[in-house]
Parts: sequence; structure tokens; C-alpha cells
Amino acid sequence: MVAKVTRSLLIGLALCGATCWAREARAFKSEIDATLDAQFYSLQSPYGNPLVQRRRYTQTLALNLYDIQADRRPLGQTLSFKSRLRLDSDFGQRPEERNPDSASYIPGLVEAPLDVMYAYLEGQRYMDGYLGFRLGRQYVVDSLGFWSFDGAEVMITTPAYLALEAYAGFEQRGGLPMLSSPRFEAGGVSRGDRTGLGFGQSPSFLQESKLAPAYGFAVETSGLQWLHSRFTYRKVINRDAVLVSPFLDNGGGLTYALGDRTSSERLGYSLRADKPELGAVLGSIVYDLYNQRVSQYNAGLDWFASERAVIAANLDYFLPTFDGDSIFNWFTHRGTTSSTLRADLAFSRQFELAASGGVRMFTTEGDPGSYVASSAPDRSKDGRTYDYLGTFGGRYRFWDGSIAVNTLAEAGDAGHRYGGDITGRKQFDGGYYDSLAVLSLYDWEDALRPERGATSFSYVLGGGINPNFLSFSKGRLGVEWEHTMNHLVGQRFRMLATLNFSVLR
Amino acid sequence: MSPRAQRAARREPLWLLVFGCVSALCLALCGQSPSARADVAAAASASASAASAPASSAEPAVAGPGMARLTHGLSAGVDGQPVPESDRPPGALPNDNGPSPAVFPTQDITVRFNHRRHVKDLKLTCTTCHEKARTSHDSADSLLPKGTRCDACHGSDHRNPMQVRANATEPMGQCAYCHLGYSSSAGNRVAPLSLPKPNLRFDHALHVTRNIGCAQCHGAVENLELATRDQLPRMRGCLNCHQAPAPAAGRARSECRTCHLTDPSGMIKVSFASGSLSPPSWLHDAGHGPDWIERHKVVAGNDSRFCANCHSEKSCADCHDGRVRPRRVHPNDWLSMHPVPARENQQKCASCHRDQSFCLSCHQRVGITMSGPFANLAERGRFHPSKSEWTDGPRTPRHHAWEAERNISACVSCHVERDCAICHATAAMGGRGSGFPAGPGQGTNPHPLGFRSRCASALRQNARPCLVCHAPDDPNLLDCR
Repeated sequence: MVAKVTRSLLIGLALCGATCWAREARAFKSEIDATLDAQFYSLQSPYGNPLVQRRRYTQTLALNLYDIQADRRPLGQTLSFKSRLRLDSDFGQRPEERNPDSASYIPGLVEAPLDVMYAYLEGQRYMDGYLGFRLGRQYVVDSLGFWSFDGAEVMITTPAYLALEAYAGFEQRGGLPMLSSPRFEAGGVSRGDRTGLGFGQSPSFLQESKLAPAYGFAVETSGLQWLHSRFTYRKVINRDAVLVSPFLDNGGGLTYALGDRTSSERLGYSLRADKPELGAVLGSIVYDLYNQRVSQYNAGLDWFASERAVIAANLDYFLPTFDGDSIFNWFTHRGTTSSTLRADLAFSRQFELAASGGVRMFTTEGDPGSYVASSAPDRSKDGRTYDYLGTFGGRYRFWDGSIAVNTLAEAGDAGHRYGGDITGRKQFDGGYYDSLAVLSLYDWEDALRPERGATSFSYVLGGGINPNFLSFSKGRLGVEWEHTMNHLVGQRFRMLATLNFSVLR
Repeated sequence: MSPRAQRAARREPLWLLVFGCVSALCLALCGQSPSARADVAAAASASASAASAPASSAEPAVAGPGMARLTHGLSAGVDGQPVPESDRPPGALPNDNGPSPAVFPTQDITVRFNHRRHVKDLKLTCTTCHEKARTSHDSADSLLPKGTRCDACHGSDHRNPMQVRANATEPMGQCAYCHLGYSSSAGNRVAPLSLPKPNLRFDHALHVTRNIGCAQCHGAVENLELATRDQLPRMRGCLNCHQAPAPAAGRARSECRTCHLTDPSGMIKVSFASGSLSPPSWLHDAGHGPDWIERHKVVAGNDSRFCANCHSEKSCADCHDGRVRPRRVHPNDWLSMHPVPARENQQKCASCHRDQSFCLSCHQRVGITMSGPFANLAERGRFHPSKSEWTDGPRTPRHHAWEAERNISACVSCHVERDCAICHATAAMGGRGSGFPAGPGQGTNPHPLGFRSRCASALRQNARPCLVCHAPDDPNLLDCR
């Protein structure tokens, strides 16, 4: 722990040093952005114990350098470096939870992992605007999802309204096990270091974690305001040594799968076409080449009924898919399809309302009752489940604050959720102080576990100060107090303290 | 103290907190903003002006000493009529209340001017008065004519701004003829005209050299009387021409930063004293309305570079990377409520959380998994419904197979593959060494219909999951080969 904190401090000092150097050189602009969040709360097992204490301190530190190449011209080439580190610590963990020899051992639990969220060098509009590139750990956001890799990306923009993009590197894996960074990997498997662990000691750690080569390309439109379309392909390869079966084989040994295997291989296409006086068409589709199935699609039709009203219909389909190493790919039969109607009304620049309603549907493959091992189900009839959805939201913004209402209702075979929040924010003294108040009331029922239903009231009070010490800095110190009351938890309290500071010059 | 009194004393802090909470909301609702105060002040000022000099948009009229009532040039429309849509700038929509105040801050026009009279009747051109438009490269340049430009016709003398002289012989040479609210008893002062510089990058000269006429951006001002904010360009109109990709040198690029101001990081400046920029609903269908958080996925997934004009990675990571629970997404007692939405719609969870690390680890910590430190089923009892419903059949929505067919992700957030393979692996594979009494696998086929036609490709690309349940010499596997 001490070593990790020391390491993060050293990195922070290095970043500060780089900033000072940047200030002296004055060849480029530099930015340091730091955030610190401290959260204190508890959660209890539905069985009463254990009681898990969360004492989370999350710190991020970013160093960004802009205009490295020369003085910037508005549409000229730019070279910049962006990076952000994160230290995610939870001092509420019990030491035995991290001890492989303990009965309380939780695979993957780390007290204070340090993570490089992103760090890349980016060039834009080189070669008269034709060439852009990124080098380092970076995000890719497109119809295939929110993804990250270490490597290089090159983008060529042509005057023919088309841009070509290609990238290659290694998928970002590992990250922070408890705090969701490994989401960049496909799900369904758990990777980690098994060094020192016996066969039965850590059943969920199936694999070692090796670099996973990844590559992809995309072709998209560029420059047109009324149309944007992107076709994309990505493949990720597993190279880990993986236990083939969680059970001992006939000889009482373990078999490993070795070599290059497909982790995920997908095609995606998305489209938006709009005509400001009329409306827009949006859609996306993802085809999973490993599963050979359409894993998701989305189609939307928006009608700009007036400057202040949008009426829309949307169809959304989602089929869970997993890493190629996972057996879970073969359990999913069909995805769920959601159909919704939506209306957005902007009565003024300050006052807006939005409402939506729809249904989510799942259809079985034939009659589930007749589906048994080694026989096909009766396809003449099927089973269906429906969830009914509705949301309503409103927002009124005034000069130094806002008030917002958000409500939702979902009901179906899995249970229901009804409820809403009212959130008020207001600044004082020209923004030097700010305040927050939230009132929240929800009722839910879990059809599989009726005793876990509840009606819950919660409120949040918060405030902060925004002392901008220098003209080129931004800072905020805030606290929030959350109090929740329901019969499941009795009284639950949560404290959140935040400190943000940013210097850009 | 009696027990009742003790209970009452214990309750008091709670009520205080609720009171504080409601008070804060009331403050937020009732507080009067500076802009509101300004509006009120402006309204009061307008009322006062209307009282002293009967000039209002409803009945435009200005009167000065020796002058008849002057009714023109006080509002945009002729005789106070609404401006025809055809005369408004390209891209303006009915009742759009003018361009965004964040880009073009509100103005305070304290002169009377009739463009129609000057252009149509007197045959002047736009550049007769606004000659700087030919040479201006900066949007901050003032293109308004100086008072001296008026002198030739009006007979006034604006050469010395500190000592402007009216033309006493001509009504149209008097100060009050143009300057609203002018009073000779006020020390020869006129109300200041306020036309704040736009928060925009614009090169008039460049557009003039491309033979782009004034009307292409400002509409038919020659048909109007007073030119107001409403005649300033709309982004929708700009995009009629600005449709070119980045390498299109010399052409109207569609990049946002072509016109919008940027901060040192190169991103669009969105916050100004006069307001904040937010995309209108017609622009890339990206209106940031109250439901934006639910629908941004489709827009961002299609064109994330568009989002990157205003948002850095931090904007995404703050929500998607689990730094702090976003209350808008996870309201109230989310820890207790989340099983219901997770089973209804696991898709949303998967956009941030990974089932076999984030979900499973936490579920193991609180002892609701089949494997893990607290997985003592004998002591804790079943988590799921009874065996007769959950595993034996009939297969209703309360049966585990139905749930797994629909949303296996919910299963995976608690179960590791061993939990499934115990039953679903073939007899030759399952159960040995598992420590579970179930014994060898039962080979219950979990595959969807049509799987046989797809299995060969999957096996070729990655045989590992096949071999978890099937022995290498399993006939089913051999069929797939």
C-alpha cells in the first residue's frame, strides 16, 4: 500500500515537474487536473452478514499538454498529449479478504490499485487536414461500445467526405477489478494472476492474463452535417493459457487451452441522417462474428415536430455475448427487444420536458416446457415476457441554478420499480458557493425474491465552494450527505467529499 | 426523561434534516436570479420610457420638440407588424426567439433606424453604412457606422463625440429623431447602445470575397425597419454552406471550431457570461434534453468525434468508469434496488460494469454467490425460488432456464462457469473434482436452436468453451468439426 501511494505521489510530482517545465518553455499549454472523492458507506448482505464497509478514496490526476507543435491556428494542425492516472482505494476492506489462504478470500480484490486510464499523444489535421493519429492508451467509442486499447490509431480524412481509420495494439485488460475498469474486456471470464493459488482456491480465476492483440478499422463519413455513418470492425485475440474445464480430467489432471484464440470479433454499422426541418433517422447494428449472431441493433425515427418538440420512436434489441473463452455465449437464446415512444418538449431555453413509454419483450424459442435435453422444443407455441416502461423528466434552469424532476416506472415479470427524484441546485455569491438538494422516493418489488421489495425514501443535502485561486485555475470543494430509509436497510447514510482542482495555462 | 420523550428527542434531528432539505429546494425554486432581476429592471425601464415618450413595440412612436410622432424604425417589422418568415435569416425557425444568447448576447438598441427607408427608398446599399464589413476579419469588430456617416443627410455634426451638434432647422437632424429617450435637459447625453461582441469566430471579409451577400446570412434586412438580434445568423443557415471535411482547403469546413471559440485545450468553449451552449435537437439529433442521459448512447456510438468537440474523456469516464455513483442513473437505495433493473435490462449495466469482476466480486463479498467465502447454502438457505420452481419445472418465467435464455448476464454476475457446467456438461466432463454432490454432468443441452449450423465456425475460432462441456471425442463435437 505504502509503495503504491509513494508511486502515485512520485508520478504526481513528475507531472507537476513537467508542468513547471512547460511553464518555463511557454511553447505549449499545459493542464493539471486533479480530483479526489472520498465516500463512506456500508452495505449489508441480504442474510444480515457480512457487513461490508466501504471507505473509498478515489484520486485522479491528469496531465494534458496542448499545442506541443507550435502556436495554434484555429484549423491548423495540433499535437497534444493527454493522460489521466487513477488511484482507487477502499480502506474498508478486511485484510483477510485479500489473503488467498483465508476463508474470506475474494479473488481480484485489491486495496489500492493504480490505473492509467488513458495516456496518448494525439495529432490532428496533419498534412493539410488529411492525417490524424493517436499513440498510447486510448478510448474508442463507436457502435461496438466503449473500449480501450494500448497502441496506435491512424485516421485519414479525405475530401471525398470519407474518413478511414485503422488501429492496432493490445486490449486494455486487468485494470481495476472492483471498480469496473476491466469493462473494456468482453465479459464472461475472469482473468488474473494465479501464482501461488491452488486449483480449488480461486475458482473464478480461470486464466492468466497476457497481452491480448487487437486490431480494427472503420470507414466513416466526414464533413457532412446531415449524414454520419460509420462501419467498423474489430478483433481481439486471447493468448492466455486457460483451464479448459473447472473439473479435473479423467487422469485427475488439468488441461489448458493454449495459443491464439478469438476473444471477440465484431462488425458494427451506425447511421444518422437528419433534415433539420423534418426529423432524423438513427440506427446501429452489431454482428458478432464469433457467435454468428446479431448481438444488438437500434433503430430510431425522430420527428422534429417544431422547433420545440421532438416526437420519436425507437426500437432496441440486445443479445448478451461474451468473450470467446466463455461458455456463457451458448446459453443465450434470444435477446430482448424494447420499443419506446418519446416526446421532448422545450418550452423555452430554460424549461424542458421529456416523456417516454414503451414495452420490453422477450420471446422464447418455442415452448420452454417442451425443451429438454436432446430434443427440440415445440416450435408451434412460445412464451413471452413483457416489461412496461415509462419515464418522465423535466428541467427548469435559471441563471444560477436549476430544478429537475426525473421519474420512472417499470413493471414486468421480474418485478417493478416506480419512483422519482426532485433535484435542486443553486449557486450563491456569483458561483462561489453552490448547494444541492435531492428528494427521492422509490418503490420496488423483486418477483424472484418478494421479501426484497421495499419503499424507500432518500434525501441528499450538499454544498460546495468554488475558490478559483488564480485566473487560470478552477477548484471545488464539496460535501454531500445522503440518508436513505427503508425496511431493508433501516437507515443508511453515505458521506461523499470531493475536491477538484484544475490549472490550465 | 420518559421513553416517549427520548424517542421524540431522537426524531428531532431527522426532522431537522428533512426541513433543511425542503428549505434548500425552496431556495432553489424561489431564488431570483441576476438575469431575472435584469429582465425586471429592463422591463421597468421600458415601462418608464413608454410613459415618458410614447414609444413601444405595440404602438411605435417617438416625439421630440417640433417633431411629429415618429412611428418608424422602432421595431423590425414595418409599422410594427411581425417580420415575414421570408425576411428572416436563413435557418431561422418560427418563434425561435432569435439566435442563442450564448453566441449573440442580448443587445440594447437605443436608436431608431429604418433600413427599409434607407435601402429601398433612398437606394443606399448595406456597405454605404457598414463599409467595415468588407475588411473585417474579427467578429469583435464593430461594423456599426459612426454618427458622422449620418451627418451628410441628417445635417447633424458627430465629429466631436463630446459635443455633437443637432441640426436645429431639420427635424431629422435633431438628436431625438434617432436617439431613443433623448432629452435636451439631460446634458446632451444619449442612452448608450450595447451590442456585445459575439462569442464566435467570423471573418466578414472572407465571406465577402466569396461573393456571399449580406442577405445570405442576415435575411432581407432591406424589407425591415430596425435590424434586431433576430437578423443575426443561425447555425442552421451557416451549415447550408459549411459542409466540407477537414482537408477541404479553402472551402467551408463543417468542423465546429471553424466558427465556435475554443479553449486552450482545443475544445469548444461552451460557457459564457451570457449563457451556455448546448446542441439544438436538430443538430445531429443531439439535443441535451432531460432524457439525454438515456439516449446519448446512440448518438455517441455513431459519431463520438462530434461529442469530442465539447467533451473530453473525463466527461465519459466520470460516469462510465465508476468513480462516484451517478445519482441520476442510480437513484435512491440503488444497492437494494439494483437486482430488479439488472434482471429487467442487463444491457444498461454492461455499459459500465463487467459481470465477472465488478458484479461477482461484490456479490461474493456479501455472500450471495454459489461459490465464495460465504457460500454456505446449508446455513443461508436458497437465494433463488424453491427448487420445484427454479430447476425442476415447469418452465415458467420463474424457472432458471427461462432467465438464462433471456439474460444470462444476470446469472453471470453471481455464478462462475463451474456452477453451470456441473449440470450442463456432458457426463464425461462434469462434476469431477467439483466438490459438489451432483456428480457427473447431466449433459442438459443449453444451446439455442440453430446452434448446430454455427458451431463449426465457433469451434474453429476458439475451442475452449466447447471443451469445457464436451470431451474431445464427444460425437456432438465431432459433428461440429
